[in-house]
Amino acid sequence: MVAGLSDEMTMESVEAFRTRTRAWMASALPSVEDPPLDSHALQRLLFDNRFAGIAFPREYGGAGLTLEHQKAFFDCAADLLRQVPAGYDHLVSVGMLGPTILEHGSHEAKLRFLPALLRGDDVWIQLLSEPRGGSDMAGATTRLTRDGHVYVLNGAKMWSTGAHVADYGLCLCRSDWDVPKHRGLSTVAVPLRGTPGLTIERIRAASGEAGDFCQEFFDDVVLPTENLIGEEGTGWAVAQTLLLHERNAAGSIGYGHLGPRLSGEDPTASDGLLGPSALLAALRHRRTNGAVATKLANAYIESVVGALTSARIMAGLRVGTHRGGWGSVSKLQASVAKHECIRTSLAALGAEGVIWDGADVRLDNAGTVWLGSRGGTLAGGSNEMQRNIVSERLLGLPREPSLDRDVPFNQVLRGLPAFE
Amino acid sequence: MNVELSQEQEAFRNTTRRFLEARVPLLVVRQLYESHDGFERSWWREAAELGWTSLFGPEVGGGGISPIPTRDAVIVAEEMGRMVAPGPFLPVSVVAAALLWEGTATQRADLLPALASGDSIASWALAEPGDVWDPASFMTRAVLDGDIMVLTGTKAYVEAATTSDHFLVTARTDDGLTQALVAANADGVTVTPGRSIDMTRRFGLVTFDGTRVPTSAVLGTVAGAGPAVERQVQLAIALQCAELVGVAQRTLEFTLEYGSSRHAFGRPIVSFQALKHRIADMTVWLEGSKAVTDALAQAIDDEDPESLHLARIAKAYVGEHCPDVVDDCVQITGGIGVTWEHDIHLYNRRATLDRALYGTPEDHKEQVITWLRG
Ligand SMILES: Cc1cc2nc3c(=O)[nH]c(=O)nc-3n(C[C@H](O)[C@H](O)[C@H](O)COP(=O)(O)OP(=O)(O)OC[C@H]3O[C@@H](n4cnc5c(N)ncnc54)[C@H](O)[C@@H]3O)c2cc1C
Repeated sequence: MVAGLSDEMTMESVEAFRTRTRAWMASALPSVEDPPLDSHALQRLLFDNRFAGIAFPREYGGAGLTLEHQKAFFDCAADLLRQVPAGYDHLVSVGMLGPTILEHGSHEAKLRFLPALLRGDDVWIQLLSEPRGGSDMAGATTRLTRDGHVYVLNGAKMWSTGAHVADYGLCLCRSDWDVPKHRGLSTVAVPLRGTPGLTIERIRAASGEAGDFCQEFFDDVVLPTENLIGEEGTGWAVAQTLLLHERNAAGSIGYGHLGPRLSGEDPTASDGLLGPSALLAALRHRRTNGAVATKLANAYIESVVGALTSARIMAGLRVGTHRGGWGSVSKLQASVAKHECIRTSLAALGAEGVIWDGADVRLDNAGTVWLGSRGGTLAGGSNEMQRNIVSERLLGLPREPSLDRDVPFNQVLRGLPAFE
Repeated sequence: MNVELSQEQEAFRNTTRRFLEARVPLLVVRQLYESHDGFERSWWREAAELGWTSLFGPEVGGGGISPIPTRDAVIVAEEMGRMVAPGPFLPVSVVAAALLWEGTATQRADLLPALASGDSIASWALAEPGDVWDPASFMTRAVLDGDIMVLTGTKAYVEAATTSDHFLVTARTDDGLTQALVAANADGVTVTPGRSIDMTRRFGLVTFDGTRVPTSAVLGTVAGAGPAVERQVQLAIALQCAELVGVAQRTLEFTLEYGSSRHAFGRPIVSFQALKHRIADMTVWLEGSKAVTDALAQAIDDEDPESLHLARIAKAYVGEHCPDVVDDCVQITGGIGVTWEHDIHLYNRRATLDRALYGTPEDHKEQVITWLRG
């Protein structure tokens, strides 16, 4: 029998998997001290050894195991200080788009898209937000029209992280304008490289640099009908699934558990200049007054509690004490904590955080990071939207009143785009 | 609180909850406010029969010791929080645990069965007047005189002081901490009753005026009790945090019920986003509080050295956020929330009390800073 073979009868136990994984990692996966492999090469290495898409069925390129096995794999990697594919685009592609296609794609779509995604050959991103708004995602106005045997796409998407380096975007668009907003949506796979009628522009971030996010213009982009993911009119359900995985990924939960959430003095902490471990360094090596020390302690405590919260929610989802949208709780916690961390770095570093030696622009200072720090409390659904979700969907409080729910979409009042 | 309770734990929680709801509903808690002791001994014996007092022993005859006593004990503490229940669960548990961890066979046999049956009550005399919780600053002295230990000093904030039959006293000797078990009616022990803001929890000052006990009453070694005291503090914090979680969780539940039926401007008040968003934040805090309390309880049972840090983190986090949940629920409740008639003050009382005991969140944060500075 092939190791890890899953057929319902003979699923490898998590413990056996862990033993096999550790042995393989020790010999085959580079350590964090080795020269870094890019996430593409690492993903390929995992794929070739059937450690990619651990919880995906084997017929689509996965390992046919469960999310518990996936968690065990990445926990082992952290434990053994091994390199694993990292980076936001990887998380989005493998942790969010993959499971969404798995849930909503037809058998043919899954065969066509998933193996290349899991091998790391195709990187997928999300095309949801638009210039006219991101929170009210169901108000999408990018237009999908059927023309004989093909679809034609027109409109614009915005804030799409990684579009300039990705291969496919899953695009939420309107295919029916005569029904209320949630019912007229569809999702379609858009190839992003060299597609006629498609323009991709990077957006300049507040730091002054070209951001990781882009704006796309669709000008009669022609797509085969097989690129539809789900059915026509079911786009909202697909997008909801995608967002669920996005929130989970933000808290390192479920398919988005591609490494443990970092806390405190984690030896593998790659949390950058302003993560908890950097804050600790500031506390140790600088003169900090009591007020600053308290902020630093708060940030540290949040990081420990945040990691425990994610672990708890993940366990709860597994055993059934938690159901549904609990990823929003850890997403909200993590977003607030990260922003607070960056804010705290301003307090800890003072002038050193905003002025540096030399005439060149530097991006790795606290002030510049601060300028973009609200990105984390907006991306993936703003803090306010997460609070709506927690209060409405987890606690069952009344929904926000809305004026457009049951109105045909072509009669709904629409506002201005964020910028032209 | 733990998402993975065993079937036995689930059953234990259910019997605990049913017992509390039947025997000490909030109406009874209100009546006990007028009483001297805050609970009745006969009731405590019934509670003991449910197993509350035998989690940390005795090993024989008393129903058997739990392999994960702290994780079992936080179940009771959380349920007590939900009902702002009376009873000296925390001090009795800490003394029983101290006996289990440090006691000689004779010491255990002498006291654990009586604690387990509820016939006897013991409390921990730890802190000293002036909000002093740090053993390094204790003034109470334990001095050896031959094979007699002489205790001198005043202990404060001793829970159930007037109802306790025994005190576990933490005192200083020249080169370290010493703990001794002292009968409440021993010569030279004076108990001065005090009250707290809580409806049912009573506290007192306990003065030792040259109190003489045989060295066989010393728990652990003379001057060697530091690690034991630390472990007892961790246990006390775990129980206290679990109780705070129960208090905050229950307060949020009844506040949401009330806020769903109370209307303003033609809408239930909890439909206002200004309130919904705060309630969402409270949900985040509660989830974090549960996660960290659970992790602490497990670390104590596993004798994981991380429990030292987790205890400070837990008190700093839970001790701040759970009382904040209750406080904001008072605001959401509106004017009735600051009346005697509404039950929320019962919860605010317990939360505010727990916040202060065994060190405030601010005290613990200070300790986090100290160790982070390295
Ligand atoms: C760094 C970054 C990366 C991103 N990556 C992607 C990506 O890869 N793909 C993608 O599709 N999108 C992406 N986004 C877009 C992101 O999802 C949106 O920015 C977000 O959903 C908010 O939308 P908006 O910016 O249009 O703000 P708006 O929707 O205009 O919201 C403005 C403000 O109004 C508040 N608000 C709106 N509705 C409500 C309500 N009902 N209740 C209370 N407050 C409300 C919001 O919280 C916000 O504070 C990214 C954004 C950033 C900053």
